[in-house]
Amino acid sequence: MPELSHELTRLTTPIAAPDFQLEDMDGEKYSLESYRGKVVILNFWATWCPPCRREIPSMEALYQTFKDEAFAILAINEWETEDHVFAFMGELPVEPGFPILFDPDSEVAQSFGVKGLPTTLLLDTQGKIVYRAVGGRDFDHPEVKKIIRELLPDGAHPHSHN
Amino acid sequence: MKYNYLIIFLCASSIVFAGDVEQYQDPATGLLTWKTRQPGLSLQLIQLLPDYVTAVYSARGLPPSLVKTMASHCVFGTIIKNESDEQLSYRVADWRYVTDDGKTQQPIKTKSEWVKEWKDQGVSFRWSILPDDQTFEPGDWSQGFTTIPLPPDSSLKLIYTWRYQGENHKHTLEGLRCAPAQAPQS
Repeated sequence: MPELSHELTRLTTPIAAPDFQLEDMDGEKYSLESYRGKVVILNFWATWCPPCRREIPSMEALYQTFKDEAFAILAINEWETEDHVFAFMGELPVEPGFPILFDPDSEVAQSFGVKGLPTTLLLDTQGKIVYRAVGGRDFDHPEVKKIIRELLPDGAHPHSHN
Repeated sequence: MKYNYLIIFLCASSIVFAGDVEQYQDPATGLLTWKTRQPGLSLQLIQLLPDYVTAVYSARGLPPSLVKTMASHCVFGTIIKNESDEQLSYRVADWRYVTDDGKTQQPIKTKSEWVKEWKDQGVSFRWSILPDDQTFEPGDWSQGFTTIPLPPDSSLKLIYTWRYQGENHKHTLEGLRCAPAQAPQS
């Protein structure tokens, strides 16, 4: 399995992200539009996808760094049931603090043109896709944090972490 | 005389180099992996047992008939990665497999073809197979199954292509072998 790099590709022309409404494990509804004004990471994943599993700890570390800022991570699970994902979460070394949403028919993934898992999209505060990564990544990297900081409104900085 | 084989024995696994291809054998399962690096990309093919394929698709809720179809194929776990600083693309429809007798050169069944076949049987699952085509930016990589309608233990070659630096590239991955019907004795 390749090492997880940290490279995110900046889109030459930002693309407006299509809105969606998905539910989490508790049936709570999340709409992407409600995150307007925040920097958002959309991560399309599945429990049977090894690189998807590998990048979860670094996603959680990134979330912890910026969780008190205008920042959110939405992990969108493809195809699987809540019970299956709940059981998987219990096996992780870290418990994600970000929402896990369910895209059971992969319609949201299709609307974003996702071809393989994992695919990660980074949205700016205007709801436009500005960065993309196909394949697993190490999100807890200074370069990724720098990109997030630059996108945060008013150049806001996270509270001190490592 | 130029040596084109270099055999290295490591404590964890055995690695055989044949030209620009590395062949690994998993000491626990006996299954083989081939890895090659070419201009811009790396490609890795991993033998997958029919039992494993059965488990994957059964767990995804595919009906038994479809699970049996998938497991009857020679399936490789496939990892393709952009190793360069430039854009790179591939298209599975341009790939071919060649049987051992060298007489048959056939296309690889694409993800779209599989998804359509599954959909025609009422299954909306659309993952697991290597995506039909992708354009990779630096750092991008992808994994998925490559399926070939050959029986266990079949020998074959894979002719794969990609586009890099404005040119179409082609390479033949020789000496491939489908997984056996059951795990080899380790």
